[in-house]
Amino acid sequence: MTDGERARRRRFDALFASHNASILAYCGWRAGSASDAQDAAAEVFLVAWRRLDELPDGDAARVWLYATARRVLANQRRSERRRAALYERLALDAAAFPQGPPSASLEEALVHEALGRLRPRDREVLLLAEWEDLSAAEIAAVMGCLAMTARGRLHRARRRFRAVFEDLLAAETHTRQPAFREGGP
Amino acid sequence: MNTSESFQALRRANPRARDGFAQSAEAAADALHARVIAAAVDAGGPGAPARRPTRRRLVRGSAVGVSLAAAAAMAAVLALSSPGVGPGVANAVVAVRDAAAATAAAAEESGTAVVRITHGGELWAGTTVRWNGEDVALASDHPRRQGRPGDELLVVDGVLYLLEDGDWVMAGSPASIDPDSGTTPDEYLAAVREDTGGATLRRMIDGMTGLTERRLGDGTTVYSGSAAAGLVARESGFKEGQAIRVFPFGYVAHDEAARPAAPLDADVTVGPDGVIREIAVRWGSGTSAWTYTVAYSRLGDTPAPVAPENARPLRERLRAGKK
Repeated sequence: MTDGERARRRRFDALFASHNASILAYCGWRAGSASDAQDAAAEVFLVAWRRLDELPDGDAARVWLYATARRVLANQRRSERRRAALYERLALDAAAFPQGPPSASLEEALVHEALGRLRPRDREVLLLAEWEDLSAAEIAAVMGCLAMTARGRLHRARRRFRAVFEDLLAAETHTRQPAFREGGP
Repeated sequence: MNTSESFQALRRANPRARDGFAQSAEAAADALHARVIAAAVDAGGPGAPARRPTRRRLVRGSAVGVSLAAAAAMAAVLALSSPGVGPGVANAVVAVRDAAAATAAAAEESGTAVVRITHGGELWAGTTVRWNGEDVALASDHPRRQGRPGDELLVVDGVLYLLEDGDWVMAGSPASIDPDSGTTPDEYLAAVREDTGGATLRRMIDGMTGLTERRLGDGTTVYSGSAAAGLVARESGFKEGQAIRVFPFGYVAHDEAARPAAPLDADVTVGPDGVIREIAVRWGSGTSAWTYTVAYSRLGDTPAPVAPENARPLRERLRAGKK
């Protein structure tokens, strides 16, 4: 291995160590299954390896990885559709919005329910902001839109989420006693 | 429940916040890393060529700019003299600078800008921006290739309105939005102005060649020259792993315009009153020809946008079943 190759490997390893958990989590929530998530995360880092010389440094690298993950997942869904046309609808729905884990708390289940009622793009910008902690400008880079557009979508997504979640919570509180906050399931 | 509680619940639902996630990720990391390295070696090792992502059209219809400064910025590109310019060119430089200053002054309070991009002689994208003080109206009228309704947006008295499926939705007042979320109307407007502020102008101040002057019969004067694409369309983030460059008002630059050093033909049309009427940039030829134009009108007397009377609060719309 040459010095250049060693330097390249060090850079990749540092990139992987810094971001693998984030990318795995991102893929895990959006892929149709755990194995699909692993495949997607591996593909993301393989692309990163191949294009390491083009990768930006610092936070921009993280944004680049999210953008790549988003594209890899979209490709994965398209492949899935080609492979099983009959399964298309189900696969799309599952890939677009995986359900929460069976052991989720009531609050978490309501969050998932509320997220499921958002438009896919609204949901994506909201989760990039709230779960991945990206700024509007970073979300724009991931989504391939302008920062202005990302801000608009984020604004709308926040409002929608809040409204839907509160309605769900109110309905749940009405039908369940004691109230959610006091007792939970 | 207030806004913060809703979002606290959302944040608690983050899979990464779940007990054991860090340990699981750490356990998976070694296998994932080994898998990637093995695949990289199979693919030809570190020097393997990158796969080219599918090239897609990048233009977005959304507008970014209230602005007088776009005129000033673009004009400044053209106003820059190259070494060895003669007296005529120097006069043209002064004239364009004066026109930019006059335009900025005229547009300070209000104005209308119509932004258009054509490709191969056909409309590719377009937006009309009207501003009056802190109120802004954006209307995108680019071709609806995917059958989606065009984006329209209003900010009136600090309230953001969005047109969705033909209905106006009141997206909220500043008081109802998380501060520092980047999504309040004030923050929205700040972002609009950022792209056309002094920083943008300064970034563009570098190099211009071949400035000429042409007087037309209607009293207007066209100043023409060549500007490096990188001075006109600045870099703005990444898409599909590639840096993208964006013109004032938010349009992604294509083909030659995406290459910073590429020379683009540019014209600034100045009216008899000394105010800029239009800025046009061209590149490519034949079916690959692009034009980017910004036409200014009603500078100083564009009426303030009016809040739509039939706007419904977002919550009400959601309850009515329209998501």
